[in-house]
Amino acid sequence: MDKLLRDKKAIVIFVAPAFLLFTFVLFIPICQSVYYSLCDYNALTAPKFIGFENYRQLFTIDRTMKIALKNSLFFLIFSVVTQLIAGLILAALLTNIKKGRDFFKNVYYLPCVLSSAALGLLWMFVFTPKLGINQILAQFGIEGPLWLMDTKGFIILPMWVIASVSLWQYVGQSMMLYMAQISGISGTLYEASYIDGCTKAQAFRHITLPLIRPMVATAMSLNAIGSLKFFDLIFNMTEGGPNHMTDVLATHLYAQGFKYFKYGYASAIGTILLIMCLIVTFIINKFVKVDNYEM
Amino acid sequence: MNTRKKKSKISTKIIYIFLSLLAVVYLLPLLWVIYVSLKDDKTLFVSPWALPERLMVENYTFAWTAGRLGVATLNSTFVCGITLMLCLLIGSMAAFAIGRMRWKLSGAMMTYFLTGMMIPVHCILIPVFTRFSKMHLTNSQAGLILPYLTLSLPITIFIMTGFFQSLPNELFESACIDGCSIYRSFTHIALPLSKTGLFVTGLMTFVANWNELLLAMVFISDDAKKTLPVSLSKFVGPYNTNYSQMFAAIVIAIIPTIIVYCMFSNQIVEGLTAGAVKG
Amino acid sequence: MKKKVLSVLLSTAMVASMLVGCGGESNAPAADNGGGQETASSGEAASASGGGVEEITWMFWDDLNATEDLISIGYKDTVERFNKDYEGKYHVNVVTTNLEEYYAKLNALVAAGETPDCFIVSPGPNLDVYVDPGVAADLTDYLKADGWLDTFNGGEGAFSQQTYDGKIYAVPLNIAAACVFYNTEMFEAAGVTTMPTDWQGMLDACDKLQAAGYTPLTISAGTAWCLSMLAGYLCDSEGVDLAAIDSGNASWLDANVVNATNKLVEISQYFQQTAAGDTNDVATANFYNEEAAMLIQGSWAIAQINGANPEFESKCGVFAFPGTDGRVIAKSDSLAMSAKTAHPDAVIAFMKYFTDDTAQKYTAEVGGKIPVTTVEYDASKAPAQLEYVMDVFGNAKSTFGFYNESMATTEAGAFFDDTMVSIYLGTPVEDGLASLEDFYKNNVWNK
Repeated sequence: MDKLLRDKKAIVIFVAPAFLLFTFVLFIPICQSVYYSLCDYNALTAPKFIGFENYRQLFTIDRTMKIALKNSLFFLIFSVVTQLIAGLILAALLTNIKKGRDFFKNVYYLPCVLSSAALGLLWMFVFTPKLGINQILAQFGIEGPLWLMDTKGFIILPMWVIASVSLWQYVGQSMMLYMAQISGISGTLYEASYIDGCTKAQAFRHITLPLIRPMVATAMSLNAIGSLKFFDLIFNMTEGGPNHMTDVLATHLYAQGFKYFKYGYASAIGTILLIMCLIVTFIINKFVKVDNYEM
Repeated sequence: MNTRKKKSKISTKIIYIFLSLLAVVYLLPLLWVIYVSLKDDKTLFVSPWALPERLMVENYTFAWTAGRLGVATLNSTFVCGITLMLCLLIGSMAAFAIGRMRWKLSGAMMTYFLTGMMIPVHCILIPVFTRFSKMHLTNSQAGLILPYLTLSLPITIFIMTGFFQSLPNELFESACIDGCSIYRSFTHIALPLSKTGLFVTGLMTFVANWNELLLAMVFISDDAKKTLPVSLSKFVGPYNTNYSQMFAAIVIAIIPTIIVYCMFSNQIVEGLTAGAVKG
Repeated sequence: MKKKVLSVLLSTAMVASMLVGCGGESNAPAADNGGGQETASSGEAASASGGGVEEITWMFWDDLNATEDLISIGYKDTVERFNKDYEGKYHVNVVTTNLEEYYAKLNALVAAGETPDCFIVSPGPNLDVYVDPGVAADLTDYLKADGWLDTFNGGEGAFSQQTYDGKIYAVPLNIAAACVFYNTEMFEAAGVTTMPTDWQGMLDACDKLQAAGYTPLTISAGTAWCLSMLAGYLCDSEGVDLAAIDSGNASWLDANVVNATNKLVEISQYFQQTAAGDTNDVATANFYNEEAAMLIQGSWAIAQINGANPEFESKCGVFAFPGTDGRVIAKSDSLAMSAKTAHPDAVIAFMKYFTDDTAQKYTAEVGGKIPVTTVEYDASKAPAQLEYVMDVFGNAKSTFGFYNESMATTEAGAFFDDTMVSIYLGTPVEDGLASLEDFYKNNVWNK
């Protein structure tokens, strides 16, 4: 058995296609982009090496960067926590009902299959004072807030709105991953526990949770990385406005790279994003994941 | 026992009420898209919530013909379909080696693949484009499939590794005793048992590629090769926007994903029950 | 069962790929019924090429088949005329994106050495980016060679925004002027009989309109450049000199900037209540749906207004922004040529089609924009508002560019826009301007 699993030739055959593709199409460009982050480069003229000047500017002068960092971290924490809780609750509820399970599951997962650009536009409409929610609220004599323009507070209202929309859109994904994993748990385990007098809640706590822990780590890392890279919804709902207050790292990167042609500078933001993702995944794997968990 | 049953009945009711309310939150905005897509642009601003005076089916016919959405849908199906199949095959092969086989560098290899998920596509756009342009791969569907495939690999490997790791060891051990080769245990044990995982990741990568705009926009210039999101973006013009038409176009774009999704989701349900029975 | 599904999937993909393959080869996909003739014919010509036809590409930021923008539709005609007239000699292929991804794609093409032979660009810092590294070609000699330059209204003066060190790098195609559009009925009902010509007059008119129960002004702060256009007018009327600021000889903290910004705060009390969240489209809709009396907007809005509410055309008046001493904000779309193009003659011939009488007449009569040449056009065919805009433009002593397109960099322009929005949203004037000053210290003056 062990010998079989250590078969070098088989390992190479299994990994080689993915490795080669990845290296040539993604990894080399990533390295190039890290190099550009040390250059003054606008994509139109040859890159000029300037050392860590871009990074110095990012952390000392650039005010938007501070806001973007704050918003990205808020986003990270909000989405990791809420998606974990909401995803687990939905998965648990759905595995415990029989009638209509498919219907509910399909409905909650639906926004995941739609383009976030389109959904961003849709929600932008919903929160536009003239068209959406505020018009309905006005029917009841309530003057709704400026959902996407309010700038008061440490974490401003638009950020909460966008974060909630992203929870709405992506919670189906976590739910689906958890459900897929729960389905792999042997039914006899539950039967045995019920015979021992376990309630459903207890069974969830003592059987389901430990057994889906690897998937929790996977889903959390996916959420974390996704939320740090988050772009489409914000771009279509606020474009980072008002006055960059809803900018996150990815939208800041886009504006610097493709609006203002500061490609080297944008690459520096990308590199910081990459490092943050690496750190977060490392932390999650360190504290949540259990290696070689045997079922 | 009786009270317990009663209790669970009430709690089931509460669960259903909660789930139904949530379903409304999910469906309402999507129904609103369809609703807006059937209005004309002028009444949209005057009375956004009023019923349309007559159904503007023209929005759909216009979007379909002027947007050349027919060709675009085929192109998207082709590009995303090929990408999906290659990605599942290549990705789960690598995931099997990383998650199931024993070698020193498997952890490092995983981290290596993971970096691909962490960098925003904007950052690598120019390097990838210049590289592909030198290889004459731009403005061709192969030139789009390659980056899509590669960008989908990390997440596929990541999720599939988790699935392969959670498979019980005994299965592989007994197969090994029966003289099963490593390749056979991949195709005949690991893959069938991780069907749910394959469907979930397949769905995720398919959807991500189906909706991808930036790469498709930059890589493809030829009208006959454009994918659906690129064709849809036509409806957002520089100085004014016809929103009801745009929403009609969005609805057209959504329908294929929903069809594909239903196909996959039935498979997932099957996987769910199969898993429970087999135990 | 599962195998079946998989095989169905596989075969669908195969059929799809075959269909796409056929579609690609014949260039006349079956699913395409209308609107696609233009590309289809271009495809045929492309495959028939090789017999000495010079192929050029033109990159544009709106889809020519799906667009409803009248100016873009005019461009489509121009392309078709060119391809027909020069059949067998030149052929232009159009590459389109949407506006959002336009520069991303253009820059990627430039970086890969595939710069399109001809591309559209906004004058100002956007054009600087292509002129400085030599991506855009010097067009002066072509313009002067055969009297092409003389067809332009004002001769070389028409190229002020496209000229660098005496060399012309792009050709303007049309001009839009920023004016105040107003609802004549509301003005009458409120008793405003003479159009305001100075700042106090403007405020008085707003007061009267408000007293009569109307919302005096609709504007979009959600789309930052709309508010910034008003701020630009106010700054200019206070005598702010952008060139002096760019070179560091004047400051954003100077009294004239502070006055202009205070005026912005002063007039903001007359905005519609939802101005902070309204996008450009919503703000314009407020005007043509007769929910507000005035709209400060570029003349491109004419097509949008008349298209959405045709009955409104007769009620819509136009006057120049008051108190600017005869200066008007103007904006033009321009064409640049790649410095590395292999077919400069074809590109020049193509550019000339945009500024010939047919195209320029269309610009005025249908597109509702101001022509760049001295072409005679039938004013009765043009939208009613164009005549007023032409009056405003004709009476203008001089023009200046959009503020955000006249600054040192695109980013500086965007920062100005954002600052004005944040001041409108309640940031104290001094703080807002101080942040602008800081931005210039860090990004403009130290370079």
